[in-house]
Amino acid sequence: MTDIFLRNLGWITAVLVLTTVGLLLLARIPLRYNIRNLRVRWIPTTLTALAFTAVIALLTVMLAFVSGMVRLTQMTGHPGNVLIIDESSNDEAFSNIAASDVGDLVNLPGLVREGGRSWVSMETYLVVNQLLPHARAGRPNRRFLQIRGVDDVRMTALVHELGLQPGGDWFSSAGVREIVGPNGQTITAIEAVLGEGIAREMARDRSPEELAQAKSPETLLPGDIFFLGDRTWYVCGLLQSAGTTFDSEVWVKRSLAASIFGKNTYTTVVARTPDAKTAKQLCDYINTQYKKAAVRALLEKEYFTSLQETNQQLLVAISFVAVILAVGGVFGVMNTMFAAVSQRTADIGVLRLLGFSRWQILGSFLLESLLIALVGGVLGCALGSLSHGWTANSIVSSGQGGGKFVVLRLVVDAGTLAAGMTLALAMGAVGGLAPAWRATRLRPLEALT
Amino acid sequence: MKLFLLVLKNIRRNLLRSVLTGLGTMVLVVVVIMVWSILWFLDEQTKEKTSNIKAIVTERWQMPSRMPLSYAPELRAGAARKPEHVRPLDSMTWQFYVGSTEPNRFGRETALFIVGTQPEKVLTMFDDLDTLPPDSPDRQRLEKAIQAMKTNRQALLIGRERMEAINKRVGERLKVYGMSLRGVDLEFEIVGVFPEGRWNNLAVMDWEYYNAAIDAYKRRPGVRPHPMTERSLSIVWLKTPDTRSFTAVASQIAASPSFTNPQVKTETLASGTAAFLEAFRDLIWGMRYFLMPAAVVTLCLVIANAISLSVRERRKEFAVLKVLGFRPAHILGLVLGEAILLGVVSGLLSAAGVFVLINVVFGGLKFPIGFFGTFYIPVRAIWWGLGVGAATALIGSLAPAWIACRVRVAEIFARVG
Repeated sequence: MTDIFLRNLGWITAVLVLTTVGLLLLARIPLRYNIRNLRVRWIPTTLTALAFTAVIALLTVMLAFVSGMVRLTQMTGHPGNVLIIDESSNDEAFSNIAASDVGDLVNLPGLVREGGRSWVSMETYLVVNQLLPHARAGRPNRRFLQIRGVDDVRMTALVHELGLQPGGDWFSSAGVREIVGPNGQTITAIEAVLGEGIAREMARDRSPEELAQAKSPETLLPGDIFFLGDRTWYVCGLLQSAGTTFDSEVWVKRSLAASIFGKNTYTTVVARTPDAKTAKQLCDYINTQYKKAAVRALLEKEYFTSLQETNQQLLVAISFVAVILAVGGVFGVMNTMFAAVSQRTADIGVLRLLGFSRWQILGSFLLESLLIALVGGVLGCALGSLSHGWTANSIVSSGQGGGKFVVLRLVVDAGTLAAGMTLALAMGAVGGLAPAWRATRLRPLEALT
Repeated sequence: MKLFLLVLKNIRRNLLRSVLTGLGTMVLVVVVIMVWSILWFLDEQTKEKTSNIKAIVTERWQMPSRMPLSYAPELRAGAARKPEHVRPLDSMTWQFYVGSTEPNRFGRETALFIVGTQPEKVLTMFDDLDTLPPDSPDRQRLEKAIQAMKTNRQALLIGRERMEAINKRVGERLKVYGMSLRGVDLEFEIVGVFPEGRWNNLAVMDWEYYNAAIDAYKRRPGVRPHPMTERSLSIVWLKTPDTRSFTAVASQIAASPSFTNPQVKTETLASGTAAFLEAFRDLIWGMRYFLMPAAVVTLCLVIANAISLSVRERRKEFAVLKVLGFRPAHILGLVLGEAILLGVVSGLLSAAGVFVLINVVFGGLKFPIGFFGTFYIPVRAIWWGLGVGAATALIGSLAPAWIACRVRVAEIFARVG
């Protein structure tokens, strides 16, 4: 149902807008008559428009959340990339490929090669617990953190087409560096590259002492440290990862992640081919002919697209709530318009005697209802648009286990605003129809007596 | 009493408006109750208990947790090695097996998420099932199914929704092709169904059957075992009588030299759930501080609009009432009474309706948040409906009622004249 609505959103909006414009053009009763009536009855007009504003603002924010999640999954992945995971898994979170099985994958046919090296990124994706001794009040004392252990960080960045923010650096081949601790002692810290989103998130749960030494109170920056797995970690760079799921990850030397967290297997091998067609061919080859390891291949783009199940579930829930709220709003506008009809019975009688047809009376009242909806809708969309760019935490998943914790940005786009205005106008049309119909049923002479 | 009768009469006088306002209130209260039910349930799940505490032991760092099965006996004993050590009241282990009823297809109609555990623990350790009254039909059906599991290793206890999704019935046999462990395919006979509720999509098998299958798979000639066959234990559940015992058991486990590779962590179920729900923090925040207030504000506006229309139309009537000796407070009470009565009745009807509709007709509210897939409307929601209806009606009608009681008799009759 939701799909049908969204697929035909353009048509529905067009029909409603055309109806409104048609009523404006065809109605012989001047528009200023309606506007004057709305102004005279400003209290119910304002209250009804405000109810519309609340419903539409809510819908806009909720849809902006889903749009943000959709954009995140759509923007992640490269068409030429092939994701190779263990054949038993449907998500890299559950994948385990033995170290002995990954070596041969660099020799797969069709890979991009440069300087004798295949563009292949060997990765271990882990979700780990980070203890938060300084968590804010009322918040859990641990969080799930996504770690991507990589063998060659520069190759991984190349394959995923991600760069570093100015001022940062990739971690060294050792993956550790000596730093001076708070008490002047030397500590061997693990070097990490962080996604921008998770850097902001992690900055929130620092102790006052850590904050005092931090480079920024808002986010972790290169040179900052954090604590995870009984070790001190040094931030050496931030990824230019905004708008992708990598924004919520911590990248680290794979061998170190393996030893600290006890995961000695690889989870993912990402292989770059020149284009989408070659990627598809490579996928087919791995899934049907490659027998050297028990692995399966997916197109990276398709993998991230498959993580939209959560988005769909949210969209259904949002649509459900929006429809119920809209029904409430419809009853509100019905009340207003029925009162308008009963207060203007004499007006209607005069208009009929002046030669205005039943349809023109209907159009006039419907237009009034649509005007209230239009004002409420525009205000609601404007209010909801303030949420554009807000950040939020969520999960994207395929609904079959796994998934990713993500930090996303809410997106208010044209589609979101169109959905808001469509709902507002639909509420106005539905709510105004019955009172307008009643107005047309009044007999001119009876109305005047 | 007279005032009450007048209130009733006034509500009936413009029946259309009262019905529309009542319906508006009802649908908006539905939103509030549904959202509140979800939030209330999540709050209950994350609230720390002081007695009869359920604890979960999982791998310390990684999620999903994967521990060696050899950890099971000592963890189930709470790592109690000395006589003075505290032992849990009860325990069970969970091993996850994901499979499909078709060899090369994994989807909603074929997928099975099966927990390998000790069958008898379904009645003593599973949330909601451990509190079923002994004489309830659900409990008796479960007992029967568990008896069957004790004699038939291939027995499968399954949630109704999942059973319907894979198009099977109790008594039927099925083969499940391993997805989490390729090559470990299992045959089952469905011996029972979970009572309607949170276990609707889960299945449970005898852990001994599962572990025997893994052993057989490892012994199979030419098979190079999956790297994770040695780490098939996901969760160990413990039950302790109180916080002190929980703390003692958690310390025993943390101090035990047996759990170093991988390390393990012990936490209360409430704490584990809270950490898991942290990923949904902003979604829950939005529901609590954005969706609910927006619904309440819309409701207040709908009521305020209806009452202000009514007040506007009845100014002459209020002036007459004043002439007849009604004091402003009476008129205020009259208008507020109309709104509140309408709000209370609508809220109550709405709450009762949504309770029956969601719980009985739809079998719960399907809204997957983490491992909670279905939510139910609690009985106390009836009071929420009443409260929300009354409170929003009061807020929405305050200003119109104030205007009504301030009506100036001379002004109104001057206009009439």
